[in-house]
Amino acid sequence: MAAGDQRTPGARWTPFFFLLPFLFFLLLFWVIPLIGGVQMSLHANGVGQAKYIGFAHYKALANDERYFTALRNSFVYTLASVVVIVPLALWLAHLLRASFRRLRPVLTFALLLPALTPPSVLAVLFVMVFHGRNGLLNQLFVMPLGFEPINWLKDPDFILSGLVLQTVWRWTGFMTFFILAGMEGIPRVYYEAARLATGSRWRQFWHVTLPQLRPVLLFVAVYLVVDGFSLFSGAYVLLGGSGGTADAGLLTVTYVFLKTRFFDYGSASAISISLLPLMVLALFGCLFLRRRTV
Amino acid sequence: MSGQGKTQRGALSLLLLCPFLLAVLVPFLWMVLGIFKTNNEFFQPLGKAFFPVNYEWQNVNELLDGKWVPFWDVFGNSLVVSFGQALGAVTLSAMAGYAFARFTFSGKRLLFVLAVALILVPRQLFAVPLFSWVNEIGLSDSLFGVMLPGVVTGLGVIYFTQVFRQVPEEYLQAARICGATELRVFLTVLPLVWPALLSYGMIHFILTWHEQLVPMLVLTTETKQTLPLALAKLYDVSQRTPQGVQMAASTFAVIPTAVLFALCYRKFRSSLSDMLVH
Repeated sequence: MAAGDQRTPGARWTPFFFLLPFLFFLLLFWVIPLIGGVQMSLHANGVGQAKYIGFAHYKALANDERYFTALRNSFVYTLASVVVIVPLALWLAHLLRASFRRLRPVLTFALLLPALTPPSVLAVLFVMVFHGRNGLLNQLFVMPLGFEPINWLKDPDFILSGLVLQTVWRWTGFMTFFILAGMEGIPRVYYEAARLATGSRWRQFWHVTLPQLRPVLLFVAVYLVVDGFSLFSGAYVLLGGSGGTADAGLLTVTYVFLKTRFFDYGSASAISISLLPLMVLALFGCLFLRRRTV
Repeated sequence: MSGQGKTQRGALSLLLLCPFLLAVLVPFLWMVLGIFKTNNEFFQPLGKAFFPVNYEWQNVNELLDGKWVPFWDVFGNSLVVSFGQALGAVTLSAMAGYAFARFTFSGKRLLFVLAVALILVPRQLFAVPLFSWVNEIGLSDSLFGVMLPGVVTGLGVIYFTQVFRQVPEEYLQAARICGATELRVFLTVLPLVWPALLSYGMIHFILTWHEQLVPMLVLTTETKQTLPLALAKLYDVSQRTPQGVQMAASTFAVIPTAVLFALCYRKFRSSLSDMLVH
């Protein structure tokens, strides 16, 4: 940006004037709690002047099987939701584009209705409609195929799949909306050029649509990853704030919440802090991807 | 492509979309119909009693009269918190995004990376230290304690950085030549990007409307709580709230965000299409 000097005539503090409110609240509600979290994780639990105990909470975590269960579940849950939602949303966006133009807004809106619904309502609807012996999943799919009805929220083999299914139900429509908006922004010329080169729709999709959608897809993936790791209310209502049978649905935030419930704030903070390196890694992964795309 | 081929393709796509539309709409329809059901009807298998026997408003009345939760207080609180937080987030993010997009200054890259990092750290993970800090500065059990922490958002900053990059430089220069102060220049640009302001405000409103963990920790008085907390209370089995009342509350919880989205739909989509690809 060589024109920088020209853009900021005179005062050097002008950009900071615009940044100041943001930085103030950043400091007040992010940096300070973060430091507070680090401090909490290094002290024994208690009010006021708690005793400094070094890395004891972290050492305890290293031997805590539930902690690793929670991490693994969160990881599997997040990965599964990205892997299912992104291709499905791409396909739905394609179908919406191919369907009648006039119906498109109504159809899109209907599909993203779950994303507008509070997660706790969503969880209740999900349980009532899909779950249980009389639920649609069992009535329409599992039992006609000759299997025993599955108890999605009690059977440890299926709890995590139940949570993933709920996320898919929640976010697919919303992501479809983003991808559709991205698709509509791709200049027609590209397709005309592609049509001259190849008649195959599949190759047009592969060589024009997909590369053009990369920023959107990146956004969608990042959003889902962050949401996956912060899932709380959905799992809270579905599993009553616990990890479910045999901890099969124990997610990281749920575990933090469980610790808080027993006033084990030190340990709760240690879990949060221990995730930071993972997040930083994810961040650099995204920046790396972004650089390669642009 | 011929007109007939296009129609056929449209019809086929619509057919393929149908199962997905049903999977979304049936539960919501069932929720709304649930308002009119007695507990007994409610727990019948889905196919047998999808529609209620009588359409009576008793459950809605009970909810609105505050028999189970102080509904109007809670609903109002949610509106205030969501609207306030959305307004704050748009203001802060737009200003910061403008600075990132339009100025060069030392430490810019570092600050920007910090903003991106904010996106990737789920707020819920730091709910506990945030909660104790909010207590310390005297905002416990206050709507401000829920509203203010959420006004800082990495997503917003990045979004507005992209938005302000697209404003033509000539526009800013013209304002400067007319002798406008820097703040004035910024204010003259705002009308150009108002669909973006509206879109981001809407998204943030929806996210705040859904937030549960931080309000749960901060707000303790029943009349000061927000809608998701009241919903959790209604859903709690030990409260024995009639199912119809639960469904009425759920329906009312969906209406504001759905209406808001429907109203902003067109603006939001065109502003996204402009931005996502370029």
